[in-house]
Amino acid sequence: MSDVDVDVAVSRSHRHTARWAAISLGVVLLLFIAVLATRKSAADKQAESPLLGKQAPSLTGTALDGSQVSLSSMHGKWVVVNFMASWCVPCQEEHPELVKFTQRHQGAGDAGVLGVIFDDTEPNVRHFFDREGGSWPVVSDPGGHTALDFGVRGPPESFLIDPNGFVVWKAIGQVNADGLEKLLSEGKARGG
Amino acid sequence: MKGRLPWLLMALVLAVALAIGAQGHSGPRTEAQRVKHIASEIRCPTCRNQSAAESDAAAAKAVRDEITRRVRAGESDGEIVAFMVSRYGSDILLKPEGSGVATLVWALPVVAVVVALAGLAVAFRRWRARPGVSVSDEDRALVERELESSR
Repeated sequence: MSDVDVDVAVSRSHRHTARWAAISLGVVLLLFIAVLATRKSAADKQAESPLLGKQAPSLTGTALDGSQVSLSSMHGKWVVVNFMASWCVPCQEEHPELVKFTQRHQGAGDAGVLGVIFDDTEPNVRHFFDREGGSWPVVSDPGGHTALDFGVRGPPESFLIDPNGFVVWKAIGQVNADGLEKLLSEGKARGG
Repeated sequence: MKGRLPWLLMALVLAVALAIGAQGHSGPRTEAQRVKHIASEIRCPTCRNQSAAESDAAAAKAVRDEITRRVRAGESDGEIVAFMVSRYGSDILLKPEGSGVATLVWALPVVAVVVALAGLAVAFRRWRARPGVSVSDEDRALVERELESSR
């Protein structure tokens, strides 16, 4: 074999290696894209919670009027546990919707709201309720332990608890009355 | 033997580094050290990429308080971390878990290093095996002639 033949053979071998390296890299990139494309988006993921389908964590506290409130005392009806703060704009925007929701169910008494203060002061929240309305119990959460028990990252976050005390739904961001009604009727249809 | 010495040294350095890395810390001793160690693995719930040990946020303090309470109650590090995951999901961990799709995060760099090392070994072998350029008498005469003419 002449030198020229050797050079050609070596050059061919290099091209061969480069082609395989490129194909391997391409396959790895395609796998990456496939994994990322089939995963749920961050927005969808945020509405997930390990608590879904499980018994709601214990929630007790002192309401703004000084009375003792607990989630367990509300067993037998649907409860929207709403983590809120007066400084939070989405909380301000969802507040009239929660007022509407509680007013709709006041007569039947089948559903209610239980507010939990998240990173805010009682006087601020009291002033907010005086101004915006709303008659549901709101408990303070000194130390943020209730928020931790529910895995809350920031207000507003809401959990729908069924009459048996199970967490059936979680929302990150503001909720609206019609959306809650829909969830409620779906839950009731399932036998909740 | 002389040619293999650098490789042996490299292998020795790698083995020592792996041994030190695998050994890790001997484990926190005091309660405060344990709390800090566990909190450093937990993401501050209201922050983006800060651990609960570093953040001054109220939620991070709540996490530290909960860890302290559970350490005092005699729970193991694993149990405390599992509690946090049971509330927030695995996203609360700063280090990805070693199961499911998250395994790729750990496995891919190892695969990449192994493939790169194998590629280097193949390349070195080929470079060494490549035949040297043979010089014929004709070539020598040609060079001689050129040198003569340039003088």
